Amino acid sequence: MIFESLQALLAPSSLLAVFIGTVSGVLVGGMPGLTATMAVALLIPVTFVLEPLTGLILMGGVYCGAMYGGSIPAILLRTPGTPAAVATAMEGYPMSRQGHGGLALKVSVIASFCGGVFSTFVLLMVAPILAIFALTFGPPEYFLLAILGLVGIVSMADDESSLVKALISGLLGLVIAVIGTDPISGQLRYTLGLTDLYDGVSFMPALIGMFSISQMLDLTSTKRIVTDTSTLQKIKREPFPKGLKKFVGLGSITGTVVGVLPGEGATIAAFLSYNFARQYSKKKHLFGHGNPEGIAAAESGNNGCVGGSLVPTLTLGIPGNSVAAALMGGLIIHGLIPGPELFSKYGVMTYAFILSLFLANIIFLFIGLTMAPYFARISLIPTPILIPVVCLFSLLGSYAMNNSILDIFVALICGIAAVILHRTGFSLGALILGLILGPIAESGFAQALIIGHGSYSIFFTRPQAIILWAIILVLLIPPIIQISRQSGRKKADVERQSDNSAE
Amino acid sequence: MTRRFAEIILLVGFLIAAFALYLSTAEYPKMVQGSTATYVRFLSVWLGLLCLIEMGLWLRKRGREEGKKLNVTSAPFRFWSLLILMFIYSILLEYLGFYIISALFLPVAMMVLGARNIWSVALTSGGVLIFVYLVFAKLLGVPLPQATLF
Repeated sequence: MIFESLQALLAPSSLLAVFIGTVSGVLVGGMPGLTATMAVALLIPVTFVLEPLTGLILMGGVYCGAMYGGSIPAILLRTPGTPAAVATAMEGYPMSRQGHGGLALKVSVIASFCGGVFSTFVLLMVAPILAIFALTFGPPEYFLLAILGLVGIVSMADDESSLVKALISGLLGLVIAVIGTDPISGQLRYTLGLTDLYDGVSFMPALIGMFSISQMLDLTSTKRIVTDTSTLQKIKREPFPKGLKKFVGLGSITGTVVGVLPGEGATIAAFLSYNFARQYSKKKHLFGHGNPEGIAAAESGNNGCVGGSLVPTLTLGIPGNSVAAALMGGLIIHGLIPGPELFSKYGVMTYAFILSLFLANIIFLFIGLTMAPYFARISLIPTPILIPVVCLFSLLGSYAMNNSILDIFVALICGIAAVILHRTGFSLGALILGLILGPIAESGFAQALIIGHGSYSIFFTRPQAIILWAIILVLLIPPIIQISRQSGRKKADVERQSDNSAE
Repeated sequence: MTRRFAEIILLVGFLIAAFALYLSTAEYPKMVQGSTATYVRFLSVWLGLLCLIEMGLWLRKRGREEGKKLNVTSAPFRFWSLLILMFIYSILLEYLGFYIISALFLPVAMMVLGARNIWSVALTSGGVLIFVYLVFAKLLGVPLPQATLF
């Protein structure tokens, strides 16, 4: 069957579909406000006139390309093309400002490739077994998974005060996520009578505002993104840094596992991988200032989600995330019902589709490696020209999500708020994390309490929940110990200084 | 305004918001008092507590710290001009439609930010609008705001 699938994949129409899909995906992913979900959903009617396999391969190529494409503007302009690229922006953009944008792009594409290939391999070999594992996760586990994602906030802090401010920022994000419709009762909460807020504050316009618009406002006082152009004669092809393999491996596994869980997206996978990397890196002090280890972990995590999300989608008909849901829509329209039949009666087509994902990863790797030095030249464009263009695309991207003018104002308000919050020491990463994870945390918490008849023991008695608590503690304790030690050292320094001045 | 003063204003604002959020959960339906209302109360309590802790940390360090000024930007004219232009853009978008307002916004913003080469400004603005038309409107079919004024 694999041999027949390979033959079907190597047909000219299939190869063309992979190429066009991947390139389109990279372009769509690279534009803020345009998401992989939108691109895949828009392609469904296009696939009506194509062979089912060609249509599927096209959608799969877009999915893979878009997950990588989001990292390009994230690194060069601090404008994540997709929400999953936020963690990449936090490390990649400082590297761009230091003149290492080409290197950051290189690390991003290689890590994305490794994560994508690993997860596709897992999809190919163990999809049915992983699907059973996915079914054992319930509301308590989803709540704990959100907590696991939020634990990353602690590792973003360097001292007591910034820890407290990071936690306040995360809680603010969770509070903003409360706006909208109560997931249990359907009651409208804090919508101020605006119908556009019935579904809550869209996190994409907020993200665009907080990262892109705030950064463009900051750049008004500089002539170029790269702060010291004297170090740049030309965009050099820098060698790949050593020691990134373990972070790529960690990100790939994390992304695949998180992707397998229905409803969990690449954003959580990317942040979790980034957080793990932060914990285990020997260069912790470089995180947030341009550390390629963070990019490697985040990008392998978000592309690792691709294959993982297709596991429950193809085996159980439960979409791994919104992109997989759109893809599943395409499958069903062509008469391919997810389940055991997909791997038996339509096995040739299914395996050809899975094998096409390997090809898609190779194509975007090639595009990324050859084009990285040229993409990186964007950081040399003078800011008077660059800023209005990026602002326009940011505002357009905010509007395009829901065709809502309110979303543009959300982006602007978040932009100016982000400038002030950043100046006063609050963490934007923590805030956006809270905003993204808020709905998952709230619905998981509420549903778990209803299932447990109001008893909190449901969060502590299930084996999967206990494992998640153990991982939470492993991630939480080291940064807290580190912060306490730093605080103790600072107090000792201050006392020594006051003793010296008294003498 | 010093940075610390700005922080205190924000913390007081968050504290008031946390308090108001807590009180508002009493209005939630009875069926969710044990679930989503509990979650929201948990958030508001912790937000309030953390704001108080941060204020406590500030009081402890007050004697040792100098009053650093809150520097929002080192180029205030460009910063505030860009922000005002974006707000004007958002307000007029519905009335003038995407293409007209963008054709005005791009060159004006570039000139305000310091671009002096008319050809660069014109070519970039025109190129961006053509790109948006071809990719967003034609290829992806994303509906762009149309003018309602005429």
